[in-house]
Amino acid sequence: MLKETTQAVIEVCELKKAFADYQALKGISFTVNAGEILALLGPNGAGKTTTINCLLGFLQPDSGTVSIGGINVQHDVVRARQQLAYIPEQVALYPRLTGLENVSYMSQIAGISLSRNEYRALLEKVQLPAHAIDKAISTYSKGMRQKVGIAIALAKQATALILDEPTSGLDPSASYEFSQLLGQLAGQGVAILMATHDLFRAQEDAHSVAILNQGQLVHRLQGQDMQDVQLESLYLQHIRREALC
Amino acid sequence: MLVEMLKKEWLESARQGQLGWVGITLLILLLAALASGWYTSSEQQSLYQDVTNAERHRWLHQGEKGPHSAAHYGVYVIKPSSHLSVLDPGLSEYQGKVLRLEAHKQNDSLFRPSQDSIAMQRFGQLSPAFVVQMLMPLLIILMGHALLAAERQQGTLRQLLASGVSTAKLMMAKGGTLYLTTMLFAAPVLLFALYSQVTASQGQGGRTLLFISGYSLYLFIWCALTLLLSSWMRTPRQALVWLLAIWAVSSLLLPRLAMTSATDQFPIQSGREFAAKLESEIYTPERLQAIQEFKQNTLQAHGVSSTDELPFDWSGAQLQFGEQYSDQVFDRLYGQRAVLLNKQTDAYQSAAVLSPFIALQSVSMAASATDLRHHQLFEDAAEQHRRVMQATLNNYQRDHAKQSQGAFQAGQSLWEQIPAFSFSYPRIGPLLGHYLTPLLSLATWALLLLIALCFAARRLQKEML
Repeated sequence: MLKETTQAVIEVCELKKAFADYQALKGISFTVNAGEILALLGPNGAGKTTTINCLLGFLQPDSGTVSIGGINVQHDVVRARQQLAYIPEQVALYPRLTGLENVSYMSQIAGISLSRNEYRALLEKVQLPAHAIDKAISTYSKGMRQKVGIAIALAKQATALILDEPTSGLDPSASYEFSQLLGQLAGQGVAILMATHDLFRAQEDAHSVAILNQGQLVHRLQGQDMQDVQLESLYLQHIRREALC
Repeated sequence: MLVEMLKKEWLESARQGQLGWVGITLLILLLAALASGWYTSSEQQSLYQDVTNAERHRWLHQGEKGPHSAAHYGVYVIKPSSHLSVLDPGLSEYQGKVLRLEAHKQNDSLFRPSQDSIAMQRFGQLSPAFVVQMLMPLLIILMGHALLAAERQQGTLRQLLASGVSTAKLMMAKGGTLYLTTMLFAAPVLLFALYSQVTASQGQGGRTLLFISGYSLYLFIWCALTLLLSSWMRTPRQALVWLLAIWAVSSLLLPRLAMTSATDQFPIQSGREFAAKLESEIYTPERLQAIQEFKQNTLQAHGVSSTDELPFDWSGAQLQFGEQYSDQVFDRLYGQRAVLLNKQTDAYQSAAVLSPFIALQSVSMAASATDLRHHQLFEDAAEQHRRVMQATLNNYQRDHAKQSQGAFQAGQSLWEQIPAFSFSYPRIGPLLGHYLTPLLSLATWALLLLIALCFAARRLQKEML
C-alpha cells in the first residue's frame, strides 16, 4: 500500500552536464516522493545513466543540484549515498560468496549490522529460493541476483532506491516477481527511481513517468494520467518528434 | 569494517584455493629457513664455546718455549654470532668466523677471495631474511593486486561506493586487511626476533627494535604499493603485471646494477694483490734502514757500542720495532682499502632511494650485525688483540731473555698475561649514522606511499566508474 506522503526524497533541479562538446543533460528537474515509483524512460543516449551517475555522485554536474533525502550529493556524497540503495542492470556481487554472505558483507560494509538470521529472513522476504541462499552467487540467475540486490536495499533501510534497467534480461515471471518487490518497497515509503526501456513494466509499476530525450525532460505523467494514456504511443510520439526536429 | 573485510577476503581466498597454497608454501619455506637457521646457529654457538675454551686451554698449556715461538704458535679467535644472525646470516657465511693471530701477520681473513667484492652481491641463500625480503612481496602482490582492481572490474566497487562507504575507509580497511594478513605470515620471523632478545646480551634491544621496525616498514611499503596500483589499474591483470615488473626491477635488477656501479666506481685490489702490495711495502730497504736507525738510537741512548752491551735482549726489542713498523704500513694500506670498501657499501646503499629491497637488506644486516661494517669491527678488535699479544711476548723477551743461560724459554705465567680474546657487538645506536640512507629511504617510501594512498582515495571518491 502506497504511503500517503508528498515528501520529496529524490530531488533533481536544473541539472546540466556536458561531455566535451556533447550536452548530455540540458537542465532537467524532477522529484520522487516517498512511496513513489518514477519510471525514467528514454532511448539510448537520452541521459538516463548520466542522471543516475549524478545522483550517485559518480559525476559532478556542471550546474544544478541533486539531493537525496535532503542531502546535497555534491556537498556530502558519502552521507547522501548512505540514504540510498542502487541496483544496476547487472547487480555486482562477489561470485565466490553465497547470497547470504553477500547480503551480510555489503550491509556490514555500509554500516548495517544484523544477525545472520535477520539477513536470511530478508533473502526469504525477497523470495530467493531457500536452497539458493547458501549457494555461491556464481550459480545464480540474473533474477536471483536482482533479489539479492533488493535484500541489500532492505537491510540498509534505504529511503531511496535507484534502479538502472532492472528488468532487462529477466524472464516474464522473474520480471513480475521483481515488480511485486518494488511495489512492497514503495509501500514502505521508499522513493524509487527506475530508468528503463520496458514500457510495459513502467506502466504497470510506476506511479509516474518522465520521458527523457536528448538531455531534456520532454514529458511527465502522473496519477490519473497514467491510467488514461497509451504510454507506448506517447513515448514514440515524443521520440520521433525530437528526432525530426 | 576491517573484521568484515578480513573475513570476506579470507573466505574468497579459501574458496579460490590457489592463493592458500601459495601462502602455505611460503610459510613452509619460512619455517624451514627458520629451523635450519636455528639449527646452524645452535651448532655454531656450541662450537664457539667449545673451540674458544679449547683454544684458550691450548694456549695456556703449550708448554715452555721462546716467546717468539709462541707468537708464531698463535691463537685462533672466533667471531661470535649475534642473536639475530639466525634470521639474517647476511655475509657471515662468506667472511669467515675464525681468525688466526700470529706474529707478523695482520688480518688473514683479508686475503680471502670472498672479501674482494662487496657483500651485498651475495644473496639467494635460503634464510628467513631472504624469504621475507624477496618472496614475501610476491605473496603480497598475489594477495593484494586484485583488492580494488577486481572490485572495479566486476562492478562491486561501484556497488560499495554507491552504498555510502567512504573511499578512505574502504582503502584503509583493504590496506589493513592486506597488512594484517602479511604480518601473520611474517609473524614467525618477528616473534623469533623478540624471543631471541631474551638470550641476547645486554644493550642489544636496539638491534631487535631496528630489525622488527625495518621489516614492518618494508612490508607496509609493499602492501601500500600493491593497494595503490590496484586502485589505479582498470583490471587486476594490469595491476599484477605492473607490480611484478616493479618487484623484478627493485628486488632483482637494481641490486645487481647498484652493486656493479659501486664496484666500478670504487674498484679495490684483490686479496692476493693486497697481500703482495703489503709485503712489498713492508720488506723494503727503508725498513732495514729504519731498524738500523732504531739500533743506533738505542745504542746511543744507552751509551754502548754493541747490542750485546745493552741491558736488555736486543732481538726482543727489534721484533717489537719490526711489528710496529709493519703495523703502520698495514694500517695505512688497510685503511685505504677499508675506505674503498665502505665507499662501495655507501654507494650500494644509496640505491636504497630507488629500491626498498636494498634499504631493508642493509638495515637487516646492520641489525643482525652480519654486514661488512660489523665484520670490520670484529677484525679490528682481533687485530688489536694480536698487537697486545705480540707486544707482551716481545717485551717479555726483551726484558727477560738477557738473564737466561742458553735458549730463552717462557712458561704458563707469561701465557696467562695475555687475556682471552673477547668480542661483543656494540649497541646499534652509535652506528646508525652509517645506515641513514637506507633508514630514511624506508621511512620516505612509506610516507610517500601513504600520501599517494590519500590522493588515490580522493580520486576514487569522484571516479566515474
